[in-house]
Amino acid sequence: MQFFTWLQDTQFAHWVASDPSLLAYPTILTLHTVGMAIVVGTCAVVDLRLLGIGGDIPLAALGAAPRLVWAGFLINAATGLALFTTDAEHKATQTVFFVKLSLIFLALAVYARIRKLVFRSPAALAAPISSEVKALAILSLILWTGATVAGRLMAYLL
Amino acid sequence: MTIPALDPFIDFIRSTRLSELFRNQVAWLWPLCESLHFVGLSLLIGAAGFFDLRLLGFMKGVPLRSAKRFVPWAMAGFAVNLLTGLIFFISQPQQYATNLAMWLKVLFLLVAGINAMLFETSYSDRLMALGPDAEMPFSAKVIGAVSLIAWFAVLYFGRMLPYLDPNPRSGV
Repeated sequence: MQFFTWLQDTQFAHWVASDPSLLAYPTILTLHTVGMAIVVGTCAVVDLRLLGIGGDIPLAALGAAPRLVWAGFLINAATGLALFTTDAEHKATQTVFFVKLSLIFLALAVYARIRKLVFRSPAALAAPISSEVKALAILSLILWTGATVAGRLMAYLL
Repeated sequence: MTIPALDPFIDFIRSTRLSELFRNQVAWLWPLCESLHFVGLSLLIGAAGFFDLRLLGFMKGVPLRSAKRFVPWAMAGFAVNLLTGLIFFISQPQQYATNLAMWLKVLFLLVAGINAMLFETSYSDRLMALGPDAEMPFSAKVIGAVSLIAWFAVLYFGRMLPYLDPNPRSGV
């Protein structure tokens, strides 16, 4: 707990939290939303394709998706850490924050599994999509929706 | 911004039963709509962005016609956000009606909408006839770029709304 108190009191945390510049809290928060749109949006498109939307889109053409997901994830890990410092003591004990982190972790694990089963296997890329992969795609959509909602509710729940 | 001419309009919206209902009687409505607004924006940016990237010439091998299957999903995300956005506006019109960021957001919504209509009416047929590996013409790339920039501008002005133009009447 002492660590979070210290973190919240660093010059950096103070700058993020209360500098009047639009580049501080407002821009960091907005970049966090941009990163979310890129990660969740890209995963949603991949999931929908696996569930049959745009069924004649070759799966191999979605090869750039991991780069987008990584880019969005890195933006959000960095901006998320910066936002965390501003309210570290509280967030370290905020249930909905841990719900959000757990859902993101699970969603990324599901995404890694989909990549392994489909996108890294030349045979699977050409074959019909298995029911296991379809189930994972539905799970992914549910987990990302949950993570998004939990993130938004951090502003409303204790 | 202060726009005194809009005050009667704001006061009228606030006085409606719907506005009062949204504001006072359903405490969970605002967080629920905020959550849906963010889910909707992810779906909208993901699905529209996918089509825009194809127009820009990425993902060769994907027929434009197939990429377009995602456009209805973008429109579903947009519908969710239009509905939840209207609920925000009707609940707290004084936070939005005189906010410069809000009107810049609306401006970029119009840019995205007109751009999409222009695509449908003037370019769609020709571009859809292209083979999956064909080079995208310049016009397609312009439409894709304008759409992508406009949607991210909508997101930017939406998220920056409370900060770009702090409203003297907000938090009423």
